[in-house]
Amino acid sequence: MNDGAAAPGATDAGEGSLESAGRGESEDRETDSVAKLSLHGITRRYGRETVLDQVSLDVPAGGTLVLFGPSGAGKTVLLRVVAGVVEADAGEVLIDGRDQHGIEPEKRGIGMAFQNFALFPHLSAFENIATPLHSRRGEGATRAERRDTRTESVERVARLLKIDHVLRQSPGALSNGQKQRTSLARALVAEPELLLLDDPLRNVDAKLRFEMRLELPRLLADQGTTVVYVTQDYKEAMALGDRIAVLVAGRVEQIGSPEDIYLRPATKRIATLFGDPPINLLDVDPECDADGPYVTLSGRRYPLDPALAVAVGRQCTLGVRPEALRFGDASEPGAIPVTVEAETPLNEKVVDLVTTVRGREILVSRPAHLSGPASGEAHLVVPMERALLFERASGERIRPRGGSPGSPDTDAGGAR
Amino acid sequence: MSQLEIEDVTKIYGAKRDAVAAVRSLDLRIERGDVVALLGSSGCGKTSTLRMIAGFESVTSGTIRVGGRDTGRLPPAGRNIAMAFEGYSLYPPMTVRENIGFALQSARVDAAEIRRRVDDMAAMLEIGNILERYPSSISGGQQQRASLARALIREAGMHLLDEPMGQLEPQLRALLRGRIKHYLKERGCTVILVTHDQTEANALADRIAVMEGGELQQYATPAELRDRPANLFTGTFIGEPPMNVIDAAPVLDGTRVRLVLGEGVSLDYPRDAFGEPVVRVLGEHPRVTLGVRPHAVRVAESGAPARVVVNQWLGDQSHVAAAFAGATLVAVEHDRVSFARGDTIRVAVAAEDLHLFDATSGKALAHGAEVVA
Repeated sequence: MNDGAAAPGATDAGEGSLESAGRGESEDRETDSVAKLSLHGITRRYGRETVLDQVSLDVPAGGTLVLFGPSGAGKTVLLRVVAGVVEADAGEVLIDGRDQHGIEPEKRGIGMAFQNFALFPHLSAFENIATPLHSRRGEGATRAERRDTRTESVERVARLLKIDHVLRQSPGALSNGQKQRTSLARALVAEPELLLLDDPLRNVDAKLRFEMRLELPRLLADQGTTVVYVTQDYKEAMALGDRIAVLVAGRVEQIGSPEDIYLRPATKRIATLFGDPPINLLDVDPECDADGPYVTLSGRRYPLDPALAVAVGRQCTLGVRPEALRFGDASEPGAIPVTVEAETPLNEKVVDLVTTVRGREILVSRPAHLSGPASGEAHLVVPMERALLFERASGERIRPRGGSPGSPDTDAGGAR
Repeated sequence: MSQLEIEDVTKIYGAKRDAVAAVRSLDLRIERGDVVALLGSSGCGKTSTLRMIAGFESVTSGTIRVGGRDTGRLPPAGRNIAMAFEGYSLYPPMTVRENIGFALQSARVDAAEIRRRVDDMAAMLEIGNILERYPSSISGGQQQRASLARALIREAGMHLLDEPMGQLEPQLRALLRGRIKHYLKERGCTVILVTHDQTEANALADRIAVMEGGELQQYATPAELRDRPANLFTGTFIGEPPMNVIDAAPVLDGTRVRLVLGEGVSLDYPRDAFGEPVVRVLGEHPRVTLGVRPHAVRVAESGAPARVVVNQWLGDQSHVAAAFAGATLVAVEHDRVSFARGDTIRVAVAAEDLHLFDATSGKALAHGAEVVA
């Protein structure tokens, strides 16, 4: 793996402060410049249920923040609070440092697009896209001039989204993909400084979703817009977010770069939500002997990073991603015997389900062009340097004290 | 004798001017112990086909034989088929346990044996904790798994599964796919599953029947579909990310094959990289459509220049899209790569990784050095 690589906007791996699971995040960053969007302690209850619980985060100008989480986590409600359609019970929304309390949704300079497209059925695609422009009267311009500017804006954004050939059609005559592009065009046409996208690719087919996932970053970068993007698809979150806020049950469980989230997840749950096939979780009880801390898998001693000595004596769960595992020889140090139960191709990968001698199930994946055992007895090599350790009961990741080169953590002294 | 033989089957709904052909002249053979997926988007004819096999729909013309017997007058119950269908729902007054064990009870299997087998099945599908509950009090995903359990527990000549894992949470999917495949293979079950999800079809099936517009596009193993797509439809339908498609004009001389793409870019190969049969096919086609799988795009030291549009790291692989010859070329790297937007990279595609399609009909002409007969 090339560690010098960069996902869009990935932060330095050394920036350990981002890992504080949403707590105190705004103090660590952007203190020297005003964030485009800041949320402080947003709380919202419906009856007795708290759907948003003290949500705080910042989005720098021009950045893309992805709100990721399972359904019911509060993502859409949070987006609506930012838009001003739903009022928070507590906390404040700041845009360019200005408190938005009492400011009407249409005065906040926000563009929005939704998963259900929300197009006006009686208007053409052109008229749908043009709707945000009606309320903005160019001062001093004549009516004809305003109309020309309007047409120009709509056509420009339609060309960008490759729907310029269907502008005269009504939504009913458009394919799902075209509807979704029309909805995006409407969100973009007024060149809003802040764009809220609520799972816009949810209802389009896999191929189109993939195409849009590739196209969107360029489109958004060209507009220079600050974006908050809601999704339940971890690949979309990784691909589109400079940073990802993982929302679980109304709380921000972690906020960080895609790299932070994937390589240094704050909790077992986050580790499980990112990755396909998902991370393997194996219960272990770290022990210590003269050679240092270790865990036992299938009767084999696996040395732990000495910086993880804090885990000794605690009940833990070891997390190993399927792509970190590989098949090897019986003679290799740390190779454990397994039985391959089934081989299931997955896109450009092959996934094997194997069982250990104690009957634990483990998923192993590899690039499709590499060969491996399809069935029968085999040996599995577990690379401890790529494994994560979680406290079993709380699910919190145990972070190495002092750090050590080669471990997923490069942040020093990061234990909470 | 095949377990299932579908011969020239057509299904037409409606009459005269309103007639719609849902399935046209379908031929399909399924051997005992095979797991076959009917794969396609909605309206492709896959569900109509499944319903005809089950006996829920009549056949307009053609023959369906199960275990060598013509099913023409055979009612659904006489076909020895176990089913998990959408809308073929659980019995509401019975618990999940009773639902799953119902067929065994009817077959007068010993109560303790039923209990053991239901427990095993429930453990496999992760529904052990809801066995004593009633269908109305469990989630849609759990109902789907209970329905699947009820079908899989039966010893039948054939199992028909309609979108069996459509509602499964992503975290469970990979594990259950592995367990189910192991279960089916161990017992030698003959299975037909209908799905619109290619990852599900690829994961579970020995062979996949790709359908579109009521017609069978290709019937082959997952590996064959990947390496030898019969036409542009199958080529671009199967595979994630989808196959790259670029128009090309072949130019041949004594020693070289040049595939001229847009914007003055061309791919250049020695003639023997393809072999004479493919070179001859290229000579007969002034224009062809090239297909290149994203994993076959090599980012190399030398090669044609491409400008990186986006580089997306997904944790276990990187998707790099680049502007290339007036089109967009997507490459998949299993390691993380550091390209940024605007970077110029050089890309190469080995002759053996090129799929050539007829520019008009979309029919496959050649895969690498292999001419399609």
